[in-house]
Amino acid sequence: MRHEKGETRQEGGTSAARRTTEQPVTFRRLLLIAGTLLILFLGMFTWNQRTRALDDFAGMLGLEVTGTVLSFVHAVESGISETWDHYFDLVGVREENQRLKARLEELEARMMAAGEDLAELRRLRKLLELPVDEAWKPVGARVLAGRMGPNGLLDSITINRGYSTGGRPGTPVVTQLGLVGRVLRASPHSATVLLLTDPGSRIAVFSQEGRVSGILSGQGVHQHLEVRFAQLGTPVSPGEVLVTSGLDGKYPKGIPVARVISAEPSNYNQFLTIKAQPLVDLRNLEEVLLLESTGIVRPNLPSGPPPEFVGPPLPATAQPLP
Amino acid sequence: MNMLRHVCWWAVFIVAGIALQSVVPGLDAFAVGLILLLEDRDYRNLAWLLPVFIILQEGMGTGLFGSSVVWYTALVLLYKLGRWLFEVNNFFFVLLLSTWFGAAYFGIAWLMAPLQDVPGFDAQGTLDKSLIQALYVPVAWWLLAGLRRWVLPREA
Repeated sequence: MRHEKGETRQEGGTSAARRTTEQPVTFRRLLLIAGTLLILFLGMFTWNQRTRALDDFAGMLGLEVTGTVLSFVHAVESGISETWDHYFDLVGVREENQRLKARLEELEARMMAAGEDLAELRRLRKLLELPVDEAWKPVGARVLAGRMGPNGLLDSITINRGYSTGGRPGTPVVTQLGLVGRVLRASPHSATVLLLTDPGSRIAVFSQEGRVSGILSGQGVHQHLEVRFAQLGTPVSPGEVLVTSGLDGKYPKGIPVARVISAEPSNYNQFLTIKAQPLVDLRNLEEVLLLESTGIVRPNLPSGPPPEFVGPPLPATAQPLP
Repeated sequence: MNMLRHVCWWAVFIVAGIALQSVVPGLDAFAVGLILLLEDRDYRNLAWLLPVFIILQEGMGTGLFGSSVVWYTALVLLYKLGRWLFEVNNFFFVLLLSTWFGAAYFGIAWLMAPLQDVPGFDAQGTLDKSLIQALYVPVAWWLLAGLRRWVLPREA
């Protein structure tokens, strides 16, 4: 028995001694594993930065699954909401029916009176109608979510259109009020839209009245937009609307983007400091329009004959001095 | 049947997680799933769920691929460190773990911002999100651990 105890103690002592001798080895092994993992990660990160292979794969699969799930969740949500509403509608439907009948009679009478005004409105609209630019085709899309997940670093939204349904990367996104941003990345049926408020967003704009050009850049959520490189001494006044100039080749010309809040000379450079506010409420978007490029290049030529040259005579036709 | 139950459980978890993330910007709803898997030492499910979590987070995010890899590696390491230090597995341990997760959230976002070419690091916004993440973990863990015991009684 004593012998056994002694053996056990001896074994215990040996294992403890082994543990002490193994500890540096384990620590060294841990360091080695950590170092290898770090090198592998940095290698993967650099390779992906160059090729974008993993980004494309994650965008294709992750974004597509997310879009599909969110579309399903929205469909279930709206189904439940409609059923709930219909139930409550049925409760008071009789009273409402009587009220609506009375209202309908009243409205019919009003409509008869407003018929002439409506015809006039149609005529005026026809007069104001702008030429349709066939280079862009509007496609409706539904907003599924805002910025998502811990990797949602940029100010963005997710929509239910992907590269196979009109939402290719770079596609401008608008509402009836103005510009929202552009598609950043896309899967077949979902896409992420970079909002114009993101600090990485750059849009070539000019002011609608003074035609002062500049680069509109985002400053982050709940921050005013800033127009850079607007020349000093140019006429920009608060309240003026900024529209896309189309000079960057990313957005069609003439889309309203923001309203000027202030325009002051900069203390640091030779440009104006213009602060602006987006025309669209980017926090409460539900539906947006994608301006899908049709591939038709609009000729940028004047419709009439070239204007007659006014100025000093050309060298070839210059008369010799008397 | 058992496998099917597991797959259904995790599929519902993922759908609910995506729906929750669409409502709470910046939140990682899958972090709790990772804790549950590590608690149960369910490495078979972890082997396929971890890549799924990473691909989903990277897909719905806007940064370059890599942040989620670092984030989930940090979560696994923090969990292992916590277990090694305290050798317990209860609500208070998860509470402690959630504060570490919150700190890791901020740290990784700050660390990855220059690598991701993010023009300006929003410290205040990231701090808010890391606090939300830290608050979310214990509540979701408590709910999901209870629900899991009810849905998958043998495995709990």
